[in-house]
Amino acid sequence: MSSVNTTTQSKTAPKPVKKPGLWIEFLGSMNLAITLLVMLSIASVIGTVLQQDQVVQDYIIKFGPFWYEVYLSLNLYEVYLAGWFMLVLLFLLVSTGVCVTRNTPVFIKEMKQYSEKLSLTALKHQPNNTTFTAAYSIAEQQSFAEALLKTEGYKTRIHQRSDGSVTVAGLKGHLNRIGYFLSHVSIIIIVIGALMDSNAYLRFAEIFGNLEAETRSVPLDEVNPNSWLTPANFSYRGNVNIREGRSADVLFLPHRQGYLVQQLPFRIEVEDFRVTYYDNGMAKSYESDIALYSPDYDEPIRETIEVNYPLYYKNFAIYQASYGDGGSLVNFNVHALNSPIASKTELESAINRHEYVNTPEGRFRIEFNDFQLYNIVPRDEEEAAITGRKMKNNGPSVLYRVRNEQGIAVEYEQYMIPNEQEGRWFYMTGVRSDVRDDFRYLFVPADDARTMDRFFNMLALVNNPNNAAVIWREAFPKPLEMDDRSYSMHLQLMQQLTQLYRQAGFDGITRFIEQNVPLDEQEAVASFYFGQLANALQSLYLHVLEQEGVAMNSNQDISEEHQIWFEDALTAIGALHRFGSPVLLQLTDFTLIQSSGLQITKSPGKNVVYIGSFLLILGIFFMFYVRQRRFWVHIRPQEGHTEITLASKDNRKLPETDAEFEAMVNKFKA
Amino acid sequence: MDTTINQNTNRMPKKESIWDKILPRDYLWAAFIFTASFVSWLVYSEFMDVYEEAILFGTALATIWMGWYWRSFQTHFYTVTTITLMALWMYQLNGNEYAAQETNFFLKYLISSQAAIMWMTFFVLVSTITYFVAFFKNSDFIYRLSTFLAWTAATFGFVGMMVRWYESYLINVDYGHIPVSSLYEVFILFVVMTILMYLYYEQKFKTRAMGGFVMVVMSASVLFVLWYVFDRQAHEIQPLIPALQSWWMKIHVPANFVGYGGFSIAAMIGVAVLWRLSLEKRSPQHRLLTHMPSLQTMENIMYRSIAIGFAFFTLATVLGAMWAAEAWGGYWSWDPKETWSLILWLTYAGWLHMRMTKGWSGPVMAWWAVIGLFVTTFTFLGVNIFLSGLHSYGEL
Ligand code: HEM
Repeated sequence: MSSVNTTTQSKTAPKPVKKPGLWIEFLGSMNLAITLLVMLSIASVIGTVLQQDQVVQDYIIKFGPFWYEVYLSLNLYEVYLAGWFMLVLLFLLVSTGVCVTRNTPVFIKEMKQYSEKLSLTALKHQPNNTTFTAAYSIAEQQSFAEALLKTEGYKTRIHQRSDGSVTVAGLKGHLNRIGYFLSHVSIIIIVIGALMDSNAYLRFAEIFGNLEAETRSVPLDEVNPNSWLTPANFSYRGNVNIREGRSADVLFLPHRQGYLVQQLPFRIEVEDFRVTYYDNGMAKSYESDIALYSPDYDEPIRETIEVNYPLYYKNFAIYQASYGDGGSLVNFNVHALNSPIASKTELESAINRHEYVNTPEGRFRIEFNDFQLYNIVPRDEEEAAITGRKMKNNGPSVLYRVRNEQGIAVEYEQYMIPNEQEGRWFYMTGVRSDVRDDFRYLFVPADDARTMDRFFNMLALVNNPNNAAVIWREAFPKPLEMDDRSYSMHLQLMQQLTQLYRQAGFDGITRFIEQNVPLDEQEAVASFYFGQLANALQSLYLHVLEQEGVAMNSNQDISEEHQIWFEDALTAIGALHRFGSPVLLQLTDFTLIQSSGLQITKSPGKNVVYIGSFLLILGIFFMFYVRQRRFWVHIRPQEGHTEITLASKDNRKLPETDAEFEAMVNKFKA
Repeated sequence: MDTTINQNTNRMPKKESIWDKILPRDYLWAAFIFTASFVSWLVYSEFMDVYEEAILFGTALATIWMGWYWRSFQTHFYTVTTITLMALWMYQLNGNEYAAQETNFFLKYLISSQAAIMWMTFFVLVSTITYFVAFFKNSDFIYRLSTFLAWTAATFGFVGMMVRWYESYLINVDYGHIPVSSLYEVFILFVVMTILMYLYYEQKFKTRAMGGFVMVVMSASVLFVLWYVFDRQAHEIQPLIPALQSWWMKIHVPANFVGYGGFSIAAMIGVAVLWRLSLEKRSPQHRLLTHMPSLQTMENIMYRSIAIGFAFFTLATVLGAMWAAEAWGGYWSWDPKETWSLILWLTYAGWLHMRMTKGWSGPVMAWWAVIGLFVTTFTFLGVNIFLSGLHSYGEL
């Protein structure tokens, strides 16, 4: 066992000439090494349990101001960059270094040492030993021992003593000791490589230069000059989004609460970006065709990169990291929701641009934020069972914000094509006033031609009391027995209910009744009001249908489909007061322009780390799986025969050790 | 003189090369693996890149070596191959439709991947019980039965993985991948690998008494698998996301699980060691003490399994770093999974130092190994559950 091993080691190995100083003793001690390993582990645990690099406010909320300060002073929010963490690594480096320098000479000596001069008594104290007598002569025994040990893979050394006795000492498996050296030196190599790739340069420039992070998102030419890094920077890892057809020669490195701009020694152009999908809608691949223009080459390097398949160039690697919209061109119909006549205007814009629209309610700024070509969502179970497909594609959508003059914005997500729900088709628009909320959807029913026209025609009538009144007069002529005043009050009621409904939905009417009607009459009044409202809206709807030229037999006799459409339209109109802006944009056309998010790294330490890792693995396998073994054959002349002592020592006691020794003994006795 | 010369030639040591130890069945084995790999290569080479070809070749060599080193593995592998081929044949008979697993009797109840995996869970649970019964009764017969059950569990698990591999292509050629990509798949891998490693030590150290202990971890894993299947439908085969479409995955993941397997075995032996030590202290005459292997043997198995685990875990971590460098742009990002791998690695580096340089043994090392299992579990599972990061493939 190794305890035996180490004690014999210190016995057999000559002491180093100079006694190591106390410091060296401390630095190379196992206790320090273990302490450092434990500290490294604890730091790592903290780094994973305590989320790193978050916004200051989040930490304060989570821990309270006191503990926030305590943790801050320990640098726990950026553990892996903390000074004390670096110090631990540095100590580990030194400690391993001292350990290797101190042990290696001893091990080398031990590797060369055959211990052929060990006395008979010493041999009889080895873990395996036996003594017997044999008939052969000393010379024969000696040559046999040598030959046997050699065939067993031992290197041998012979010691002839003056009393006529001979020791043949064998040693094999010295790779075991080399394993120790390799694996421990490799730790040093790996740490050095990692330091080469750390942000040491940035820290240096921060302390001794005037480097500071830019925290605003501004165009490149407005970025703080102190936030720029030249190509001389030793190592870095940053991102850049490049629109299809464009190129870039800078990177953005996240730093502190902002970013730095890194100049690249080459220019990267993204010629094309593609996403492919599996049949269930999951992304299958993200690819960019890129061209790298370097002053060192006449021709650009062209390659298609993919996740897992980066482009390597010198010390650089260029990765497919993300993607986004690169300013797709988008066309809209703008519908004014409060307009008394159905009107739509066209609007052309692009993602990342904004436009203004003027409405009677004021000027609105419309900001186009994102475009999605596919919206692949799971179907509900019933649908999946019917269609046999789990996912469906809701088609292109655009994300935009409408901001009023006070600067308050509502966010919308509008789908270009209608979406089928239970056999009916709807144009969907998601609405939310806070990005943390989920979208609430407005479902505008599509008409027979799958357009929104009928809906907006209907809405225009609802918005237009005068036109509506004409229609009602026609639809509900004055009964003979009714006087003029009652008749006009009746029409007025229809008008008021319609207005109320448009402004506040069914709930608005219910609320109105609750506030203005005595409790015991509410029920009766409500049923009367809703009846009237239904009549009013229904007649407007019939008018719209007539205008459209939809064939009908008589006034009340419309198809079930059209009846359902009416109900869906009522739901939509009743929800419009919560839409949050007086315009609805309908995406009509687009030209997709994507941008590819590239990550570019310059990592000169990478190969150092790889070499270190390779040596580490090699060393560990040598240490574990190459056994260092010693075997001694001591031959002593006695009258007429020889006395033989065999002994062996393994640097690890293994279950097979005894059996192997036994086998060797048998070969001798044979 | 004559006699001496004679004696001398008689006694000339013969060089015993490895070739002398290789039996005819070993040649057969090599031929079998070689042919199987070669046929696979002929059939599938158009779908492989050069790295995958290298992996196929490397795997073939490693498998041949493995079978020579441990002959029982040959038998196991033959069985797995036969059953797997039967399953594939069943699929062929049914028009190569994935749906055949619902209709064909053999597939549905026995050897479709899901059925085989369910059988694996069953045999794991049963063998855990029988191993313990054997331990308390010290019954050789029940021990043999347990070993057989453990082999059966490993066989079904292995078959399940192989068939699942095939099935992933049946569902959709695009989906096809080796089943080491989801948390569910790696759990099966973990169970199979660990059982095989344990069975190796069982043979090598000629003691079956540790079986129940090791199987406890396997049972826990299997219960997790069952929950994962019935509560989360985790067994559904999904295509690979782009980050996982890499040949690195094919070696990184299995290497990791040799590591986790070794550490799990060591921890459970640690439990046995602690039990033994406390029995020795409380009642030195206790009957169970005679049922256990000696302290030295147990500590030896513990060292062995930590050593192999550590070596492979180092390899896996390095491979992981290289893969990360290719997929995420950096070989080390302090992502929680990476960080916990480092913590786990340091845990066992500490253990090995204490044993190698200070010669520690006994309760401290046993406790250390047991705590190591908690760190292992956290690295394997806890990180996915509690911490988010780049490695969020196996989210629960
Ligand atoms: C992260 C740092 C380190 C790692 C990962 C590491 C790893 C290892 C491993 C795996 C072993 C093999 C144990 C075995 O043979 O079973 C070992 C052995 C050893 N280590 Fe370290 N080590 C590290 C740092 C150190 C330091 C700082 C020292 C000096 C204090 C040291 C001294 C030794 C010694 C003396 C041996 C025994 C060699 C033998 O007798 O075979 N190690 N180390």
